Amino acid sequence: MPLAFIAAAPFCLALLLTLPQTRAQLSKTAQTLLSSALMAGLFAWLVSSFPLVQAEGAVIQSLEWMPALGISLSFYLDGLSLLFGLIITGIGALIFFFAGYYFDDAAEYNRFMVWLAGFAGAMLALVLSGNLLMLFIAWELTSVTSFLLIGFKGAKEKSARAGAFKALFVTSGGALALIIGLVMLGAAAGQLIAPGTGGFVAELDVVLGLESLHEHVWFPLFSFLILLGCFTKSAQFPFHFWLPGAMSAPTPASAYLHSATMVKAGIYLVARLSPAMYKNELWTNALLSIGLLTMLVGAVFAIRQTDLKGLLAYATVSKLGAIMALLGLPGQAGLKAALVGIIAHALYKSALFMVAGTIDHVAHTRQISRLGGLRKELPALFWVTVISALSMAGMPFLMGFVAKETLLDALLHYSPWAELVMLVTLASAALTALAAYMLIGDVFLGRRRSELQIHLPPSPIYYGPALLAFCSLVMGFLLEPLVIPLLRLAVPKSFVLPLFAGFNEVFWMSMGVLVAGALLYRVRKPLIQRISLPVSGDAVFDELIRYIDWAGSALLSFQSGYVRYYLVWILGSVSLMLIASGILPAMTAGQTLFPQDLSVTATDLAKIFMLALAVAAAALTVVLREHVKAAIAYGVIGYAIGVIFLINHAPDVALVQLLVETMATVLVIIMLGQIRPGARLKVIRNLWDGRHDNHVGLLRDLGISIVIGLAVFVFSLIALQNRPERRSIAQWHLENTSLVNSEDAVGAIVADFRGTDTLLEIAVFTTAALGVLTLLASGRADGSSVKKAPGDSPEQAAQAGEAIQDATSLSTPFTRLVTNFVLPVAILIGIAQILYGGAGPGDGFTAGVTIGLAVSLWYVVLGYDEARRQLPWFRPAHFVRLGLVIGIVNALFPILLGKGFTGHVQFDKALGIYDLVSAFGLHITSSLIFEIAIAVTVMGGLGLIIEAIAYPQSRATVDEGLSAVGGKS
Amino acid sequence: MTEFMFALAIGILFGIGVFQLLRRDLIKAAIGFAILFSAINLFFVAAGAFEGEAPPYLSNVLAGRATSDPLVQALILTAIVVSFGSFSLVLGIVNIISKRYDTVDSNDVTNLKH
Repeated sequence: MPLAFIAAAPFCLALLLTLPQTRAQLSKTAQTLLSSALMAGLFAWLVSSFPLVQAEGAVIQSLEWMPALGISLSFYLDGLSLLFGLIITGIGALIFFFAGYYFDDAAEYNRFMVWLAGFAGAMLALVLSGNLLMLFIAWELTSVTSFLLIGFKGAKEKSARAGAFKALFVTSGGALALIIGLVMLGAAAGQLIAPGTGGFVAELDVVLGLESLHEHVWFPLFSFLILLGCFTKSAQFPFHFWLPGAMSAPTPASAYLHSATMVKAGIYLVARLSPAMYKNELWTNALLSIGLLTMLVGAVFAIRQTDLKGLLAYATVSKLGAIMALLGLPGQAGLKAALVGIIAHALYKSALFMVAGTIDHVAHTRQISRLGGLRKELPALFWVTVISALSMAGMPFLMGFVAKETLLDALLHYSPWAELVMLVTLASAALTALAAYMLIGDVFLGRRRSELQIHLPPSPIYYGPALLAFCSLVMGFLLEPLVIPLLRLAVPKSFVLPLFAGFNEVFWMSMGVLVAGALLYRVRKPLIQRISLPVSGDAVFDELIRYIDWAGSALLSFQSGYVRYYLVWILGSVSLMLIASGILPAMTAGQTLFPQDLSVTATDLAKIFMLALAVAAAALTVVLREHVKAAIAYGVIGYAIGVIFLINHAPDVALVQLLVETMATVLVIIMLGQIRPGARLKVIRNLWDGRHDNHVGLLRDLGISIVIGLAVFVFSLIALQNRPERRSIAQWHLENTSLVNSEDAVGAIVADFRGTDTLLEIAVFTTAALGVLTLLASGRADGSSVKKAPGDSPEQAAQAGEAIQDATSLSTPFTRLVTNFVLPVAILIGIAQILYGGAGPGDGFTAGVTIGLAVSLWYVVLGYDEARRQLPWFRPAHFVRLGLVIGIVNALFPILLGKGFTGHVQFDKALGIYDLVSAFGLHITSSLIFEIAIAVTVMGGLGLIIEAIAYPQSRATVDEGLSAVGGKS
Repeated sequence: MTEFMFALAIGILFGIGVFQLLRRDLIKAAIGFAILFSAINLFFVAAGAFEGEAPPYLSNVLAGRATSDPLVQALILTAIVVSFGSFSLVLGIVNIISKRYDTVDSNDVTNLKH
């Protein structure tokens, strides 16, 4: 079975959970069972792949993605990935189950599970990816989903927003370093494999097989960058502070992301790259020193916490540091201990987090000082905590004991500066034991606070933590059948892993730590008060953010609030770019700007005349004060340009231009009717009344536009005088038009050669149409707050240029007749343009615009209600949906035939009716279907726009349109 | 010669479009926006790799006639429709502003200021 399915399955679950049908029809319990059953199934699947990994060493499955960039979708399953995959799916199944009872509100649970399932998919993709760049993408996905989960309660709690932001800031900052490091690593690997070619290698199996990577000159730099990414992700000192902040996430997320899985991503990557890197001492020493420091800092901070989850978070930081230090032992000597530590930690820490979540749920507080004496009410939880916390402390013969023994053994025998290292380790271990005792003693034993109200949770909430505690209890006795075979796949050297190695020095150290922890427990209160720290990571972070804010305020002083000035900046920069990129080089190359040959042909004269007409009409749009007249002048520009297209032998473009320009002019005029004449009159007065500041403003705007116009003029002159002649790809298109059974090269390019482009264009057009719709819908939604406009006197209305105030006033018997006549004709023309578009001017675009124009005529003449009644079949939102679906399916279908996205398919030949239909001059191909899709989409989009702009008071359209938006997302 | 005239027209149209955008009248600004689109489309058609004496149809190619550049035409074709979409979006925004602030003078729209 393909590994891609394992990573894809949680994403599919997330999608499934977002469906409104799922939310409506599946109860919370059903969703819970479904989600955790899926994760359990993936767990079982991974378990069943064990023999395969044992036989092959590493299972590699690769799909080509972007071969030119060295990016492939490749999946890689070896012992290390398998171990992490089992933790992600196994713990995941229990957490997903727990979450179903942690949340009381079904809608909240559903929203949470969508992100959590998405995270699980990203995390599985991370540990299963066989390509470093794909790993990075998954890495970023985990950061994003983690952000969403930490900020889950952000709408209500400021701390959730702050915590989410902090986590994202730190981890994605580290990820920026990581991507540069990984790209450098890939480039270095490329140099080693094929020197001098500038190749790039990101395939994991190739990179790991390189013997001399650790001697590469770039090694210090890229290993530094990669470690920066790993340290930020795994909350190593001094980046540890985001993890306690992340505790504002709902507890299931903390248990899953911030103890069992995501924070181990950094550790995973370090362990993953270790075979290629560990021979360099820079790598190992960095890991060892930062890891030890983190271990100590985390343990000290843990016991100072007053919040239950804060304590667990710092204990996690400490443990992550210990594992990082183990990975930094020379010669990969600590790998076995690190992996045992990961297993033990995942078991006890997830259980403890779920305990903390349950206590929060039960007692509505996580403050340790307010808790106490919960043993009687919550006996099950008490025993789970005892086992898990003692496992954390390293009590024989729990799983944590095995982890601690192997940790001490590895550090004692293989670490450089062993005395110092042991001192730090034993101190941290004693503090961790103290933290574990505090979890048991301060929460469950002692006196019960009288003010504490307890309501008992549903009992399934205990199942997950209880199962994990059971695993912590028995796993130590099942090392031989369960743990050791798994570790043998991941650890290259042979090793032994006994539950009890005898009464050696490591055992006595381990016992000493437990006793020291117990002694510290007696004096914990004065001890904790003594600890104070000079500076905290949080303070440094806040200071940094303050500087960023200050820089932001400085930039904000440029914001005048007048859109015009922004335009000046934008257009000014564009002009500078034009001058730098086009004008200056041409000037220095001695380009002559003015034409030498002044002879003109009759066609040229016609073109010049039309250009002059366009320019004159444009000038009129400025000079004519009344908006309606300006709009009509604008229409003249469009027609003049349409004629120029026609003279330039571009009939298809000319047709579209003329149709669209008509539509645009109609739209402007209709919209003018929506705006109160008084408002329009006011702006005309403001601009033309000859006040002094108006003259200054006029001169300023004139100056700016003359400069910009001049820059554009010179640039286009140079561009037009240096055209590429016939070498262009245009020639290729002309020569190959026959390949796609088309007569018209333009149609062939639009519907076939550049089909993907066109598909995106109609999607953009649809988006714009939906934008208009949502804009006017939202304007309507808070329209109640708009002050009622004072009434206009009739003179004002007349002066402002009377627009179409009441559309139905256009309805006369004659116009009705014309309207009735136009639509069927337009539809016939549209169909003809689609069917025979390949043989002449016209295509899907023109067909869509033609029908859209005819329909808009109905709306203008008959008014909204009447038009809707008489044209019940005209449902723009449905057309848009239908058109896009046809377009996408038509583009995807050729893939089944092995032809690639938007490939050309001749349906008539395939169906054996080629001769029949070509007798009518038809070719039934994928291009034809695409033209239909374009026509339907454009028609629908135009319908949306015309309905929304002309009749924003119509809630019905707006609602229909909005449901179309919802239906596609 | 025609190239010069095209460039001149494009420059003037662009200048007028920008001028309209800079003025306070939002309706005129929307029209100016559309004029900018026209200028750009005009540039594209003039910037084709070659000019011809016939539309780019297969029969014309087979008959050995020089056709116009089909590629720029295909680009403009979709650009016209998409620019119409953006234009209608601009009109929608002007419409909303006129409803919400009861004005089409951009100086009266002050709530956008921080």
